[in-house]
Formats: sequence, structure tokens, C-alpha cells
Amino acid sequence: MRALAAAPAAPCFLRRHAQLKKRPSKSFLLMKYRSFPPIAVLSLSRPDHNPSEDTDEMFDELFNKYGKVVYSRGDRKSASAEAEDDYESLSFAVALAKTANEVKAGDIRVLFVKPLVYWTRFFIIVTAFSRPQIDAIGSRIRETAEKQFKKVPSGDTRPKSWTLLDFGDVVVHIFLPQQRAFYNLEEFYGNATPIELPFDSESPFRN
Amino acid sequence: MIQPQTLLNVADNSGARKLMCIRIIGTGNPRYAHIGDVIVAVIKEAVPNMPLERSEVIRAVIVRTCKELKRNNGIIIRYDDNAAVVIDQEGNPKGTRVFGAIPRELRQFNFTKIVSLAPEVL
Repeated sequence: MRALAAAPAAPCFLRRHAQLKKRPSKSFLLMKYRSFPPIAVLSLSRPDHNPSEDTDEMFDELFNKYGKVVYSRGDRKSASAEAEDDYESLSFAVALAKTANEVKAGDIRVLFVKPLVYWTRFFIIVTAFSRPQIDAIGSRIRETAEKQFKKVPSGDTRPKSWTLLDFGDVVVHIFLPQQRAFYNLEEFYGNATPIELPFDSESPFRN
Repeated sequence: MIQPQTLLNVADNSGARKLMCIRIIGTGNPRYAHIGDVIVAVIKEAVPNMPLERSEVIRAVIVRTCKELKRNNGIIIRYDDNAAVVIDQEGNPKGTRVFGAIPRELRQFNFTKIVSLAPEVL
């Protein structure tokens, strides 16, 4: 296994230019100092780095130090910001699950699917026992999201046997019992972490 | 670029194997369908002992095309085959699992159900 190393492209370019042309032109110098001040700092901070000296040993060292992949994208959020976003979505998901419980939805599951799929964070899977109830659960969830969290879902507007409300970070699936068994989303996302809910999601009088 | 008479693979476990597009749904009499468009199709080949049969007329969503899909950030996605997922009149998929890679644009076209059944989203 080979670790990926991030070679700083821009400083390398500057250095090569300097080697080829002993006296850089005036316009080049202006460009260097005016438009890329952080790049100049970067090249100063690593004066001994030369990409041609990147050997396997260096990669191995980086691999041992950082694990699988050394390179990471620059626009990635910091871990604390991610955790904060996760917490915000978690509170939103739990609030929606509570709302569903108030409308007597059965077998409410909240799954943390972020490690499995990149496109959302939480799945809420609930069962409704009739189409009017699907409508009721959907409209109550929409109302809560709009009033308390100022979020408007995309997805289904009319009740269907599988109604999906997409809030971006939280996706709500409302199933009829038959459809829930048919699609079996819990099995498909079996590796996701289930979230403990602050109420008893089993409706006692239904069972 | 899917047009009537185009043969498509089926990317789910609904029981159909090959579809032929017979109509593209949309306003303005569209000539071609692209990823995320709904088509009317006829089943040309089906798996035996499944609910869907040959020569049945169904609706399907296109999920993969050989024609490139361009994104605003410059990424171009081109698949090896033309593939579709069979849906019913409500818009729910007829199969329970979707196979192969699927573009994230389907979510913007309100096919999040298909996206949530897919193993890989590009």
C-alpha cells in the first residue's frame, strides 16, 4: 500500500522558474509577491523540500505518521465544526422523531448514516398505519421543521405508500407496514448506528 | 441521449432485464431523455417467475447514460451503459435495491428514494 503525499505544486513552479532563469523578470516578481502571498510564505516555511527527493522511505514515514491517506482536501471542515453540525442535525432529527411519536407513528428508528453515505447524516424511518395517518405525520413534521428550525423539505408533497421528506441532513421515510417490510431499509443500512430516543417508540396499544 | 426505440439495461431487482424506450415524458415534446428524466418503456426481456413480464408497458427513470453528464464544477461523468430504474405511477421504485453507481443529480430531481436504495452515489 502506498500513501499519497501532497506535493506543493505552486512553490515547485516558482522554484523551477528561478532555476531556469537566474534573474526573474520584473513582472514575474510582481506577480509572485502580489497575487500569491500565502504561496511565498509556504515556500519559505519549507526551504529544504524538494519534490525530486520524495522517496519511498519518506512516503513510508508519512504513512506511519498519518495512516492511510496523507493528502486531504483543503475545503474540508475542521473536526469540531463537523461535530457541531452533527449535533445540530441530531437535535433536529430527534425533534422530528418526537413529533412523529406525537402523531402515533409506529416503530420509529433514527439511524446515523453519515459514515455510510456522504449525502446525508440521519435517516428517520417510521411506520404509519393508513394513508390519512401518513398525511398527518408528514404535515406535522413539515410544520415543526418550518416553525422551529426554519427548514423546508423537498421530496413528496402528497401522501404515498412510501413518503419521503428530504431536509438535506435529515431524511424522513414514512412507510405503510407492507412497504416497510418490502423495502427493508433497516437491513440495507444495517451498519448504521441507531440513536437512542428519549421516548418509548413502541406504541403499546397497537401491539 | 435516450430516444424512442433505445434499449436500456435495468439497474434494479424488479425483474425486468431490458427496456425499450417508447416515449419521453415532459413538456414540449422532448426529443431526447437524459439522467433524471422519466420515460415510458416496454419490457423486452424479463427474469422468469417475477411480477414484471415481457411486453409490459412501464415507467422508468434514467439513472445512467453513455452521453456525458456535465457538472458546474467541471466534472464530467460518462457511464458505460444506458440504464433505468422501474417506477410505478406513484414514483416508488418497483424493485427493492438499485445496482451500480448513480449520480447525485437524481436527488435534485426528487428521486431521493432511488438514491437511498443505491449502493454508491457519485
